[in-house]
Amino acid sequence: MSTDLWTWIGAFLTLMIFSFLYKDNPFYKFAEHLFVGVANGYYIVFYWHQALKPNLYEPLKSGNFLYLIPLLLGLLYFTRFIPKISWLVRLPLGFMIGWGAGISIPANLQAFIFRQIEGTVVTPGSFSDGYEGLWSLIILIGVICTVIYFFFSTEHRGIFKFGSRLGIIFIMLGFGASFGYTVMARVSLLIGRIQFLFGPWLGLIK
Amino acid sequence: MKFFQSLTRIDRRLIYLILTVLVILPFFLKFHLPQNIMPQTKRLYDFIDGLVPQENKAALVSIDYTPQTMPECHPMAISILTHCFKKRIPIIGISFDPQAPGLAIEAFNTVVIRLNACATTKNDSIIYGRDYIYLGWKSGRIAALMEMGEKISNVFPRDYYNNNTDSLPLMQRIKNYRDISIAIILAAADYPQEWLMYAQARYGLKLGTGLTAVMAPKYYPFLQTGQLSGMMSGMKGAAEYENLLLKSGHTTETGKAETGMNSQTLVHLLIIMLIIIGNIGYFFLQQKKEH
Repeated sequence: MSTDLWTWIGAFLTLMIFSFLYKDNPFYKFAEHLFVGVANGYYIVFYWHQALKPNLYEPLKSGNFLYLIPLLLGLLYFTRFIPKISWLVRLPLGFMIGWGAGISIPANLQAFIFRQIEGTVVTPGSFSDGYEGLWSLIILIGVICTVIYFFFSTEHRGIFKFGSRLGIIFIMLGFGASFGYTVMARVSLLIGRIQFLFGPWLGLIK
Repeated sequence: MKFFQSLTRIDRRLIYLILTVLVILPFFLKFHLPQNIMPQTKRLYDFIDGLVPQENKAALVSIDYTPQTMPECHPMAISILTHCFKKRIPIIGISFDPQAPGLAIEAFNTVVIRLNACATTKNDSIIYGRDYIYLGWKSGRIAALMEMGEKISNVFPRDYYNNNTDSLPLMQRIKNYRDISIAIILAAADYPQEWLMYAQARYGLKLGTGLTAVMAPKYYPFLQTGQLSGMMSGMKGAAEYENLLLKSGHTTETGKAETGMNSQTLVHLLIIMLIIIGNIGYFFLQQKKEH
Protein backbone atom coordinates (compact mmCIF):
# COMPACT_ATOMS: atom_id res chain seq x y z
CA MET A 1 0.00 0.00 0.00
CA SER A 2 1.26 3.47 -0.87
CA THR A 3 2.86 5.72 1.72
CA ASP A 4 2.61 8.76 -0.55
CA LEU A 5 -0.01 11.28 0.62
CA TRP A 6 -0.73 12.47 -2.94
CA THR A 7 -1.48 8.92 -4.10
CA TRP A 8 -4.01 8.62 -1.25
CA ILE A 9 -5.61 11.94 -2.19
CA GLY A 10 -5.78 10.80 -5.84
CA ALA A 11 -7.32 7.49 -4.83
CA PHE A 12 -9.99 9.07 -2.61
CA LEU A 13 -10.89 11.63 -5.26
CA THR A 14 -11.23 8.82 -7.82
CA LEU A 15 -13.57 6.91 -5.50
CA MET A 16 -15.57 10.08 -4.81
CA ILE A 17 -16.10 10.59 -8.55
CA PHE A 18 -17.01 6.91 -9.05
CA SER A 19 -19.64 7.18 -6.29
CA PHE A 20 -21.79 9.07 -8.81
CA LEU A 21 -22.38 5.75 -10.60
CA TYR A 22 -24.58 4.75 -7.65
CA LYS A 23 -26.25 8.14 -7.31
CA ASP A 24 -25.48 11.83 -6.93
CA ASN A 25 -24.00 12.60 -3.48
CA PRO A 26 -22.01 15.26 -1.58
CA PHE A 27 -18.68 13.40 -2.01
CA TYR A 28 -19.08 13.50 -5.78
CA LYS A 29 -20.06 17.17 -5.65
CA PHE A 30 -16.99 17.99 -3.55
CA ALA A 31 -14.61 16.22 -5.95
CA GLU A 32 -16.29 17.82 -8.95
CA HIS A 33 -16.01 21.34 -7.55
CA LEU A 34 -12.45 20.75 -6.42
CA PHE A 35 -11.54 19.62 -9.94
CA VAL A 36 -13.06 22.73 -11.55
CA GLY A 37 -11.24 24.99 -9.08
CA VAL A 38 -7.88 23.27 -9.45
CA ALA A 39 -8.16 23.18 -13.25
CA ASN A 40 -8.95 26.92 -13.38
CA GLY A 41 -6.09 27.73 -11.03
CA TYR A 42 -3.69 25.63 -13.09
CA TYR A 43 -4.66 27.32 -16.34
CA ILE A 44 -4.44 30.86 -14.91
CA VAL A 45 -0.96 30.30 -13.46
CA PHE A 46 0.21 28.35 -16.53
CA TYR A 47 -0.91 30.98 -19.04
CA TRP A 48 0.62 33.79 -17.00
CA HIS A 49 4.01 32.10 -16.69
CA GLN A 50 4.14 30.44 -20.12
CA ALA A 51 2.24 32.83 -22.39
CA LEU A 52 1.61 36.33 -21.04
CA LYS A 53 4.84 36.86 -19.12
CA PRO A 54 7.36 35.75 -21.79
CA ASN A 55 5.36 36.94 -24.80
CA LEU A 56 4.01 40.27 -23.54
CA TYR A 57 5.12 41.42 -20.10
CA GLU A 58 8.87 40.84 -20.54
CA PRO A 59 9.15 42.40 -24.03
CA LEU A 60 7.22 45.45 -22.78
CA LYS A 61 9.40 45.66 -19.69
CA SER A 62 12.51 45.62 -21.83
CA GLY A 63 11.19 48.60 -23.82
CA ASN A 64 9.76 46.89 -26.91
CA PHE A 65 6.64 49.04 -27.22
CA LEU A 66 5.48 47.38 -30.45
CA TYR A 67 3.86 44.83 -28.15
CA LEU A 68 1.38 47.52 -27.11
CA ILE A 69 -0.48 46.86 -30.38
CA PRO A 70 -1.42 43.22 -29.60
CA LEU A 71 -2.08 44.25 -25.98
CA LEU A 72 -4.50 46.92 -27.15
CA LEU A 73 -6.19 44.51 -29.58
CA GLY A 74 -6.58 41.99 -26.77
CA LEU A 75 -8.00 44.56 -24.37
CA LEU A 76 -10.57 45.61 -26.96
CA TYR A 77 -12.31 42.24 -26.44
CA PHE A 78 -13.35 43.49 -23.00
CA THR A 79 -15.23 46.47 -24.49
CA ARG A 80 -18.19 44.09 -24.87
CA PHE A 81 -18.87 44.76 -21.19
CA ILE A 82 -19.24 48.54 -21.79
CA PRO A 83 -22.35 49.07 -23.96
CA LYS A 84 -21.34 52.54 -25.21
CA ILE A 85 -18.12 51.36 -26.82
CA SER A 86 -18.98 47.69 -27.32
CA TRP A 87 -18.69 48.17 -31.12
CA LEU A 88 -14.91 48.32 -30.68
CA VAL A 89 -14.87 44.54 -30.18
CA ARG A 90 -15.29 44.27 -33.94
CA LEU A 91 -11.68 45.38 -34.45
CA PRO A 92 -9.95 42.39 -32.83
CA LEU A 93 -12.68 40.06 -34.13
CA GLY A 94 -12.20 41.36 -37.66
CA PHE A 95 -8.45 40.95 -37.35
CA MET A 96 -8.77 37.38 -36.08
CA ILE A 97 -11.39 36.35 -38.64
CA GLY A 98 -9.39 37.90 -41.49
CA TRP A 99 -6.14 36.27 -40.37
CA GLY A 100 -7.85 32.95 -39.61
CA ALA A 101 -9.67 32.73 -42.93
CA GLY A 102 -6.62 33.75 -44.92
CA ILE A 103 -4.40 31.22 -43.25
CA SER A 104 -6.83 28.30 -43.08
CA ILE A 105 -8.79 28.35 -46.37
CA PRO A 106 -5.88 27.46 -48.70
CA ALA A 107 -4.48 24.96 -46.18
CA ASN A 108 -7.91 23.34 -45.75
CA LEU A 109 -8.40 23.01 -49.49
CA GLN A 110 -4.96 21.53 -49.93
CA ALA A 111 -5.00 19.08 -47.00
CA PHE A 112 -8.64 18.06 -46.81
CA ILE A 113 -10.24 18.58 -50.23
CA PHE A 114 -7.66 18.08 -52.98
CA ARG A 115 -5.73 15.27 -51.28
CA GLN A 116 -8.95 13.46 -50.32
CA ILE A 117 -10.36 13.70 -53.83
CA GLU A 118 -7.02 12.46 -55.13
CA GLY A 119 -7.25 9.52 -52.72
CA THR A 120 -10.75 8.66 -53.94
CA VAL A 121 -9.91 8.57 -57.65
CA VAL A 122 -9.50 5.03 -58.95
CA THR A 123 -6.88 4.60 -61.66
CA PRO A 124 -5.58 1.44 -63.39
CA GLY A 125 -2.61 1.74 -61.01
CA SER A 126 -4.98 1.17 -58.07
CA PHE A 127 -5.39 -2.45 -59.25
CA SER A 128 -1.68 -3.27 -59.22
CA ASP A 129 -2.52 -5.07 -55.99
CA GLY A 130 -5.94 -6.77 -56.35
CA TYR A 131 -6.86 -6.43 -52.67
CA GLU A 132 -6.02 -2.70 -52.57
CA GLY A 133 -7.88 -2.21 -55.85
CA LEU A 134 -11.04 -3.71 -54.39
CA TRP A 135 -10.84 -1.35 -51.41
CA SER A 136 -10.26 1.63 -53.70
CA LEU A 137 -13.42 0.70 -55.59
CA ILE A 138 -15.41 0.34 -52.35
CA ILE A 139 -14.16 3.77 -51.19
CA LEU A 140 -15.18 5.32 -54.51
CA ILE A 141 -18.67 3.76 -54.36
CA GLY A 142 -18.98 4.77 -50.67
CA VAL A 143 -18.08 8.40 -51.35
CA ILE A 144 -20.42 8.72 -54.34
CA CYS A 145 -23.38 7.06 -52.57
CA THR A 146 -22.89 9.11 -49.38
CA VAL A 147 -22.77 12.33 -51.42
CA ILE A 148 -25.98 11.20 -53.23
CA TYR A 149 -27.67 10.73 -49.83
CA PHE A 150 -26.92 14.38 -49.02
CA PHE A 151 -28.00 15.60 -52.48
CA PHE A 152 -31.40 17.18 -51.88
CA SER A 153 -31.98 19.01 -55.18
CA THR A 154 -33.79 16.08 -56.72
CA GLU A 155 -36.20 13.45 -55.38
CA HIS A 156 -34.50 10.20 -54.43
CA ARG A 157 -36.06 7.95 -57.08
CA GLY A 158 -34.63 5.32 -59.42
CA ILE A 159 -30.84 5.36 -59.46
CA PHE A 160 -30.80 8.16 -56.83
CA LYS A 161 -32.94 6.01 -54.50
CA PHE A 162 -30.58 3.07 -54.90
CA GLY A 163 -27.53 5.32 -54.39
CA SER A 164 -28.93 7.03 -51.29
CA ARG A 165 -29.97 3.68 -49.72
CA LEU A 166 -26.46 2.39 -50.25
CA GLY A 167 -25.17 5.71 -48.87
CA ILE A 168 -27.11 5.14 -45.63
CA ILE A 169 -25.38 1.77 -45.20
CA PHE A 170 -21.96 3.43 -45.52
CA ILE A 171 -23.00 6.18 -43.09
CA MET A 172 -24.25 3.60 -40.57
CA LEU A 173 -20.99 1.68 -40.85
CA GLY A 174 -19.18 4.94 -40.06
CA PHE A 175 -21.40 5.57 -37.03
CA GLY A 176 -20.84 1.99 -35.85
CA ALA A 177 -17.06 2.36 -36.09
CA SER A 178 -17.22 5.66 -34.18
CA PHE A 179 -19.41 4.12 -31.47
CA GLY A 180 -17.13 1.10 -31.13
CA TYR A 181 -14.06 3.30 -30.80
CA THR A 182 -15.85 5.54 -28.27
CA VAL A 183 -16.71 2.53 -26.11
CA MET A 184 -13.09 1.41 -26.28
CA ALA A 185 -11.88 4.89 -25.28
CA ARG A 186 -14.18 5.13 -22.26
CA VAL A 187 -13.35 1.63 -21.07
CA SER A 188 -9.63 2.50 -21.41
CA LEU A 189 -10.10 5.40 -19.00
CA LEU A 190 -11.75 3.08 -16.48
CA ILE A 191 -8.92 0.57 -16.90
CA GLY A 192 -6.43 3.38 -16.25
CA ARG A 193 -8.11 4.30 -12.97
CA ILE A 194 -8.35 0.64 -11.88
CA GLN A 195 -4.64 0.21 -12.67
CA PHE A 196 -3.96 3.26 -10.47
CA LEU A 197 -6.15 2.07 -7.58
CA PHE A 198 -4.83 -1.49 -7.53
CA GLY A 199 -1.27 -0.52 -8.51
CA PRO A 200 0.32 2.58 -6.99
CA TRP A 201 -2.35 2.90 -4.25
CA LEU A 202 -3.05 -0.62 -2.97
CA GLY A 203 0.07 -2.23 -4.42
CA LEU A 204 -1.83 -5.36 -5.44
CA ILE A 205 -0.77 -5.34 -9.09
CA LYS A 206 2.48 -4.39 -10.83
CA MET B 1 -43.96 -10.25 -21.12
CA LYS B 2 -42.38 -9.42 -17.78
CA PHE B 3 -39.26 -11.37 -18.68
CA PHE B 4 -38.77 -9.43 -21.93
CA GLN B 5 -39.45 -6.17 -20.12
CA SER B 6 -36.76 -7.01 -17.59
CA LEU B 7 -34.33 -7.66 -20.46
CA THR B 8 -34.75 -4.07 -21.65
CA ARG B 9 -34.61 -2.59 -18.15
CA ILE B 10 -31.54 -4.03 -16.47
CA ASP B 11 -30.54 -1.81 -13.52
CA ARG B 12 -27.60 0.31 -14.68
CA ARG B 13 -25.89 -0.19 -11.31
CA LEU B 14 -25.83 -3.94 -11.92
CA ILE B 15 -24.23 -3.30 -15.32
CA TYR B 16 -21.58 -1.05 -13.72
CA LEU B 17 -20.86 -3.72 -11.13
CA ILE B 18 -20.39 -6.50 -13.71
CA LEU B 19 -18.30 -4.15 -15.84
CA THR B 20 -16.02 -3.26 -12.90
CA VAL B 21 -15.55 -6.94 -11.99
CA LEU B 22 -14.65 -7.73 -15.61
CA VAL B 23 -12.10 -4.91 -15.67
CA ILE B 24 -10.48 -5.99 -12.39
CA LEU B 25 -10.45 -9.78 -12.93
CA PRO B 26 -7.76 -10.02 -15.65
CA PHE B 27 -5.25 -8.23 -13.41
CA PHE B 28 -5.43 -11.09 -10.92
CA LEU B 29 -6.21 -14.11 -13.12
CA LYS B 30 -3.14 -14.39 -15.28
CA PHE B 31 -4.38 -15.17 -18.80
CA HIS B 32 -3.61 -13.72 -22.17
CA LEU B 33 -6.10 -13.01 -24.92
CA PRO B 34 -4.43 -12.82 -28.35
CA GLN B 35 -4.26 -9.42 -30.09
CA ASN B 36 -3.89 -8.97 -33.82
CA ILE B 37 -1.78 -6.07 -35.09
CA MET B 38 -3.64 -3.56 -37.23
CA PRO B 39 -1.94 -2.39 -40.46
CA GLN B 40 -1.79 1.30 -39.45
CA THR B 41 0.21 0.50 -36.29
CA LYS B 42 2.52 -1.78 -38.27
CA ARG B 43 3.07 0.98 -40.82
CA LEU B 44 4.15 3.43 -38.13
CA TYR B 45 6.40 0.84 -36.53
CA ASP B 46 7.97 -0.09 -39.89
CA PHE B 47 8.55 3.56 -40.75
CA ILE B 48 10.41 4.26 -37.52
CA ASP B 49 12.22 0.93 -37.65
CA GLY B 50 13.37 1.73 -41.19
CA LEU B 51 14.94 5.06 -40.20
CA VAL B 52 18.71 5.12 -40.43
CA PRO B 53 20.47 7.20 -37.76
CA GLN B 54 21.95 10.25 -39.46
CA GLU B 55 23.97 13.13 -38.09
CA ASN B 56 21.53 15.81 -39.20
CA LYS B 57 18.15 14.08 -38.81
CA ALA B 58 15.86 13.73 -35.80
CA ALA B 59 12.34 12.63 -34.94
CA LEU B 60 9.98 15.24 -33.58
CA VAL B 61 7.54 14.02 -30.94
CA SER B 62 4.68 16.33 -30.03
CA ILE B 63 3.26 15.18 -26.69
CA ASP B 64 -0.23 16.65 -26.50
CA TYR B 65 -2.31 14.40 -24.30
CA THR B 66 -3.81 15.18 -20.92
CA PRO B 67 -3.89 13.36 -17.57
CA GLN B 68 -7.36 11.93 -18.20
CA THR B 69 -6.23 10.26 -21.45
CA MET B 70 -3.01 8.87 -19.99
CA PRO B 71 -4.15 5.21 -20.10
CA GLU B 72 -4.39 5.46 -23.87
CA CYS B 73 -1.60 7.84 -24.85
CA HIS B 74 1.10 7.48 -22.19
CA PRO B 75 2.00 3.89 -23.20
CA MET B 76 2.25 5.16 -26.80
CA ALA B 77 4.74 7.84 -25.73
CA ILE B 78 6.80 5.29 -23.78
CA SER B 79 6.88 2.94 -26.78
CA ILE B 80 7.73 5.61 -29.37
CA LEU B 81 10.51 7.10 -27.23
CA THR B 82 11.91 3.63 -26.50
CA HIS B 83 11.85 2.67 -30.17
CA CYS B 84 13.58 5.88 -31.32
CA PHE B 85 16.24 5.72 -28.61
CA LYS B 86 16.91 2.05 -29.32
CA LYS B 87 17.37 2.96 -33.00
CA ARG B 88 19.61 5.88 -31.91
CA ILE B 89 17.27 8.37 -33.58
CA PRO B 90 17.56 11.74 -31.73
CA ILE B 91 14.28 13.15 -30.45
CA ILE B 92 13.00 16.68 -30.19
CA GLY B 93 10.02 16.84 -27.84
CA ILE B 94 7.47 19.66 -27.88
CA SER B 95 3.93 20.27 -26.58
CA PHE B 96 1.03 22.46 -27.62
CA ASP B 97 -1.41 21.32 -24.93
CA PRO B 98 -1.08 23.22 -21.64
CA GLN B 99 -1.62 20.03 -19.62
CA ALA B 100 1.04 18.06 -21.45
CA PRO B 101 4.50 19.28 -20.30
CA GLY B 102 4.44 17.42 -16.96
CA LEU B 103 3.41 14.19 -18.70
CA ALA B 104 6.05 14.65 -21.40
CA ILE B 105 8.79 15.04 -18.81
CA GLU B 106 7.53 11.93 -17.00
CA ALA B 107 7.56 9.92 -20.24
CA PHE B 108 11.10 11.06 -21.15
CA ASN B 109 12.41 10.40 -17.62
CA THR B 110 10.82 6.93 -17.44
CA VAL B 111 12.37 5.82 -20.72
CA VAL B 112 15.77 7.49 -20.22
CA ILE B 113 16.22 6.09 -16.70
CA ARG B 114 15.22 2.59 -17.87
CA LEU B 115 17.58 2.63 -20.87
CA ASN B 116 20.48 4.25 -19.03
CA ALA B 117 20.26 1.56 -16.35
CA CYS B 118 21.37 -0.93 -19.02
CA ALA B 119 24.01 1.34 -20.60
CA THR B 120 27.65 0.55 -19.98
CA THR B 121 29.40 3.46 -21.70
CA LYS B 122 28.70 7.12 -22.30
CA ASN B 123 28.06 6.34 -25.96
CA ASP B 124 25.37 3.82 -25.00
CA SER B 125 23.69 6.27 -22.67
CA ILE B 126 20.86 8.60 -23.58
CA ILE B 127 22.05 12.11 -22.84
CA TYR B 128 19.98 15.29 -22.72
CA GLY B 129 21.06 17.78 -25.37
CA ARG B 130 22.86 15.16 -27.44
CA ASP B 131 20.21 12.44 -27.91
CA TYR B 132 17.05 14.28 -26.98
CA ILE B 133 15.71 17.62 -25.92
CA TYR B 134 12.35 18.80 -24.67
CA LEU B 135 11.43 22.31 -25.78
CA GLY B 136 8.32 22.67 -23.64
CA TRP B 137 4.99 24.30 -24.46
CA LYS B 138 4.21 27.05 -26.94
CA SER B 139 1.09 29.15 -27.45
CA GLY B 140 -0.25 30.06 -30.91
CA ARG B 141 -0.12 26.62 -32.50
CA ILE B 142 -0.75 27.59 -36.13
CA ALA B 143 1.87 30.33 -36.25
CA ALA B 144 4.31 28.07 -34.39
CA LEU B 145 3.75 25.16 -36.79
CA MET B 146 4.47 27.36 -39.79
CA GLU B 147 7.46 29.10 -38.24
CA MET B 148 9.05 25.76 -37.28
CA GLY B 149 9.25 25.06 -41.02
CA GLU B 150 11.69 27.98 -41.23
CA LYS B 151 13.55 27.61 -37.92
CA ILE B 152 12.57 25.59 -34.86
CA SER B 153 14.59 27.70 -32.44
CA ASN B 154 12.70 30.84 -33.55
CA VAL B 155 9.60 29.30 -31.99
CA PHE B 156 11.36 27.77 -29.01
CA PRO B 157 14.33 30.08 -28.22
CA ARG B 158 14.69 28.33 -24.85
CA ASP B 159 14.05 24.71 -23.92
CA TYR B 160 11.90 23.47 -21.02
CA TYR B 161 14.85 23.83 -18.63
CA ASN B 162 15.53 27.39 -19.83
CA ASN B 163 18.69 26.52 -21.80
CA ASN B 164 19.37 28.49 -24.95
CA THR B 165 17.99 26.14 -27.64
CA ASP B 166 20.67 27.00 -30.22
CA SER B 167 23.39 26.16 -27.70
CA LEU B 168 22.24 22.51 -27.37
CA PRO B 169 24.40 20.11 -29.44
CA LEU B 170 21.37 18.48 -31.08
CA MET B 171 19.90 21.80 -32.19
CA GLN B 172 23.16 22.83 -33.85
CA ARG B 173 22.43 20.08 -36.39
CA ILE B 174 18.63 20.39 -36.59
CA LYS B 175 17.24 23.62 -37.98
CA ASN B 176 13.75 23.03 -39.41
CA TYR B 177 11.35 20.45 -40.88
CA ARG B 178 13.91 19.52 -43.55
CA ASP B 179 15.94 17.92 -40.76
CA ILE B 180 13.00 16.00 -39.29
CA SER B 181 12.56 12.39 -40.47
CA ILE B 182 9.08 12.08 -38.98
CA ALA B 183 6.87 14.06 -36.62
CA ILE B 184 4.79 11.88 -34.31
CA ILE B 185 1.83 13.59 -32.67
CA LEU B 186 0.48 11.90 -29.56
CA ALA B 187 -2.74 13.76 -28.99
CA ALA B 188 -6.01 13.74 -27.13
CA ALA B 189 -7.45 16.63 -29.15
CA ASP B 190 -7.56 17.67 -32.79
CA TYR B 191 -3.93 18.80 -33.00
CA PRO B 192 -2.98 16.38 -35.84
CA GLN B 193 -5.43 18.22 -38.10
CA GLU B 194 -3.31 21.37 -37.85
CA TRP B 195 -0.12 19.41 -38.42
CA LEU B 196 -1.71 18.02 -41.60
CA MET B 197 -2.71 21.49 -42.76
CA TYR B 198 0.35 23.54 -41.90
CA ALA B 199 3.27 21.12 -41.68
CA GLN B 200 2.39 18.19 -43.94
CA ALA B 201 0.62 19.99 -46.80
CA ARG B 202 2.95 23.00 -46.78
CA TYR B 203 6.34 21.47 -46.02
CA GLY B 204 5.77 17.80 -46.93
CA LEU B 205 6.69 16.70 -43.41
CA LYS B 206 6.13 12.97 -42.74
CA LEU B 207 3.53 12.52 -39.99
CA GLY B 208 2.59 9.69 -37.68
CA THR B 209 -0.01 9.85 -34.92
CA GLY B 210 -1.02 8.21 -31.69
CA LEU B 211 -4.61 9.15 -30.88
CA THR B 212 -7.30 8.41 -28.37
CA ALA B 213 -9.76 5.87 -29.73
CA VAL B 214 -12.54 8.47 -29.94
CA MET B 215 -10.50 10.47 -32.45
CA ALA B 216 -9.27 7.55 -34.56
CA PRO B 217 -12.14 7.13 -37.09
CA LYS B 218 -11.69 10.75 -38.22
CA TYR B 219 -8.07 10.12 -39.21
CA TYR B 220 -8.47 6.90 -41.23
CA PRO B 221 -8.95 8.80 -44.54
CA PHE B 222 -5.50 10.38 -44.09
CA LEU B 223 -3.87 6.97 -43.91
CA GLN B 224 -5.43 5.98 -47.19
CA THR B 225 -4.12 9.10 -48.96
CA GLY B 226 -0.66 8.68 -47.45
CA GLN B 227 -0.84 11.97 -45.54
CA LEU B 228 -0.24 9.93 -42.39
CA SER B 229 2.60 7.42 -42.38
CA GLY B 230 0.98 5.41 -39.61
CA MET B 231 -1.34 5.64 -36.65
CA MET B 232 -1.89 4.11 -33.22
CA SER B 233 -5.55 4.10 -32.17
CA GLY B 234 -6.29 4.16 -28.47
CA MET B 235 -5.17 1.58 -25.94
CA LYS B 236 -5.29 -1.13 -28.60
CA GLY B 237 -2.85 0.76 -30.82
CA ALA B 238 -0.53 1.27 -27.86
CA ALA B 239 -0.71 -2.45 -26.98
CA GLU B 240 0.04 -3.39 -30.59
CA TYR B 241 3.14 -1.18 -30.59
CA GLU B 242 4.29 -2.70 -27.28
CA ASN B 243 3.92 -6.16 -28.83
CA LEU B 244 5.87 -5.15 -31.94
CA LEU B 245 8.71 -3.83 -29.76
CA LEU B 246 8.71 -7.06 -27.77
CA LYS B 247 8.71 -9.28 -30.86
CA SER B 248 11.62 -7.38 -32.41
CA GLY B 249 13.63 -7.60 -29.17
CA HIS B 250 13.68 -3.84 -28.47
CA THR B 251 12.03 -4.53 -25.10
CA THR B 252 11.86 -7.54 -22.82
CA GLU B 253 8.28 -7.06 -21.62
CA THR B 254 5.09 -5.34 -22.69
CA GLY B 255 3.70 -2.32 -20.86
CA LYS B 256 0.49 -1.10 -19.30
CA ALA B 257 -1.53 -0.99 -22.53
CA GLU B 258 -1.07 -4.70 -23.22
CA THR B 259 -2.05 -5.52 -19.61
CA GLY B 260 -5.23 -3.45 -19.99
CA MET B 261 -6.28 -5.11 -23.25
CA ASN B 262 -7.47 -8.31 -21.51
CA SER B 263 -9.96 -6.22 -19.51
CA GLN B 264 -10.85 -4.32 -22.65
CA THR B 265 -11.73 -7.52 -24.53
CA LEU B 266 -13.89 -8.86 -21.68
CA VAL B 267 -15.80 -5.58 -21.41
CA HIS B 268 -16.37 -5.54 -25.17
CA LEU B 269 -17.85 -9.04 -24.96
CA LEU B 270 -20.13 -7.85 -22.14
CA ILE B 271 -21.29 -4.86 -24.19
CA ILE B 272 -21.97 -7.04 -27.24
CA MET B 273 -24.02 -9.39 -25.03
CA LEU B 274 -25.96 -6.48 -23.50
CA ILE B 275 -26.74 -5.06 -26.94
CA ILE B 276 -28.00 -8.47 -28.09
CA ILE B 277 -30.07 -8.99 -24.89
CA GLY B 278 -31.55 -5.50 -25.14
CA ASN B 279 -32.49 -6.04 -28.77
CA ILE B 280 -34.08 -9.44 -28.09
CA GLY B 281 -36.19 -7.90 -25.31
CA TYR B 282 -37.19 -4.98 -27.53
CA PHE B 283 -38.02 -7.26 -30.49
CA PHE B 284 -40.31 -9.56 -28.48
CA LEU B 285 -41.97 -6.65 -26.66
CA GLN B 286 -42.81 -5.05 -30.00
CA GLN B 287 -44.25 -8.35 -31.28
CA LYS B 288 -46.43 -8.76 -28.18
CA LYS B 289 -47.66 -5.18 -28.51
CA GLU B 290 -48.63 -5.79 -32.15
CA HIS B 291 -50.62 -8.91 -31.15
